Amino acid sequence: MSGEQATLWEGARAAPRILRVTDLNRRVRTLLDADLTLADVWVEGEVSQPTYPPSGHCFFTLKDAASQIRAVLFREELARATVRPEHGMQVICHGKVRAYEPQGVYQLYVESLTPAGAGDLHQQYEALRAKLGAEGLFEAARKRELPRWPRRIGVVTSPVGAVWRDIGNVMRRRYPIGELILSPSIVQGATAAGAIVRALQRLYADTTIDLVILARGGGSLEDLWSFNDERVVRAVASSPVPVVVGVGHESDVTLADFAADLRAPTPSAAAEQAVPDLAQLPGILARLRDRASVALLGRLAEGRRFLGAEARALAGLRPETAAARQRAADLLDRGHRALLTGAQRQQASLDGLADALRALSPTATLQRGYAIARLADGTIVRDPSQATVGQPLEVVVASGRLTTRVEDVTRDPEELL
Amino acid sequence: MSSEPKPADDLAARPFDELVGELQRIVQALEAGNLPLEESIARYREALRLHAAAEGRLRAAELTISQLGRGLVEGAEEEPTPEG
Repeated sequence: MSGEQATLWEGARAAPRILRVTDLNRRVRTLLDADLTLADVWVEGEVSQPTYPPSGHCFFTLKDAASQIRAVLFREELARATVRPEHGMQVICHGKVRAYEPQGVYQLYVESLTPAGAGDLHQQYEALRAKLGAEGLFEAARKRELPRWPRRIGVVTSPVGAVWRDIGNVMRRRYPIGELILSPSIVQGATAAGAIVRALQRLYADTTIDLVILARGGGSLEDLWSFNDERVVRAVASSPVPVVVGVGHESDVTLADFAADLRAPTPSAAAEQAVPDLAQLPGILARLRDRASVALLGRLAEGRRFLGAEARALAGLRPETAAARQRAADLLDRGHRALLTGAQRQQASLDGLADALRALSPTATLQRGYAIARLADGTIVRDPSQATVGQPLEVVVASGRLTTRVEDVTRDPEELL
Repeated sequence: MSSEPKPADDLAARPFDELVGELQRIVQALEAGNLPLEESIARYREALRLHAAAEGRLRAAELTISQLGRGLVEGAEEEPTPEG
């Protein structure tokens, strides 16, 4: 024994190589760095004494019955982890073993961490789906109609990344009269579920919001896991206003999707399905206006018929109706002026009116025996002074047109119109 | 005349969907054809006003975006740019 020691001592004395601590630790580090197995390990163990200093990283000890190793989960990885390490939690860590030179320790640098037994995330999903389904949270009868013209639309998603930008673009294109209110939330990682619930509740507290969109881009099953969190699913189901959920891609169906009033396959689709496309609206508005014009024309024509026939007959019998007749004539006059004023708002309006008449009222008006007289440029003739003798005139009747020429222009001395 | 609300103002304050909804109701009432003539003309004028207001609003529309709870993005780690 002593001989062996002496030999060692002699050897060391022969070539004493005195390392600095730093050199020693570097050598150990280099050794560990070179080990390919340690660069990519999966370890199962129990979390002990995790700490969360202000740096945002998480430090803990991973142990089993016989042994332990220090572990670190950096801020970025922590944000992506599906669970937040807690004391006593059984986890599977993926990462690498490295030496930390300043302290002369080796530790596990965790890249991802999942609860042990979470290999059956699918089982958890199915169990929760069955439980909440039994409570009726996914019933079709619970689904509400979306408002046809939402005014203020709340959006819960991440304020960074493509999803929020895409939703804004879709809204700008389809529905610029709307108002978007972002209630930002992180949408993945251990703290996401709580953050999503709070973001939803902030929107629910605002009673002027009449529709909510909950969205997130595609990702792994773990990335989307918050949308299978019971708290999130319940928050969606308890919304006071309809909720559209668009998470991941077409094939991703989360429990939040089931609880939604409308499930969209993607975030952009959620935005598209939440609002009508207003591109067609100017045309629709113009047709409404033309229908109003046509209806009023019809009403005026009836008034004119009344004046021209019945009233005239009545006037002969009862002179006191003359005042009423004058008043009715004034009204007709005002009506025509209203039509013309309206028509002048847009150059094409008279043509539009004629088109509308053609399209909408041949049965209603023309078939009752009315005709429309138009000049060559399409102007509808309402007053004899619009036409001159010899001018061509197109007369539209129920089943066709007559091409005619003006022979005489007379203003009816009795008819004001 | 001065006691009446300014047309532009009262329509400008109303939600867009109300303008369109009312325009539709007026058109239907006019088409039903059972309004007194005077009423028909008044409604028609209103329809023109509604149409002009709605169309103007549509032409000028710019999406409004605001944010609730600014700075409340807890743990604000950016998600790695997700695929839409």
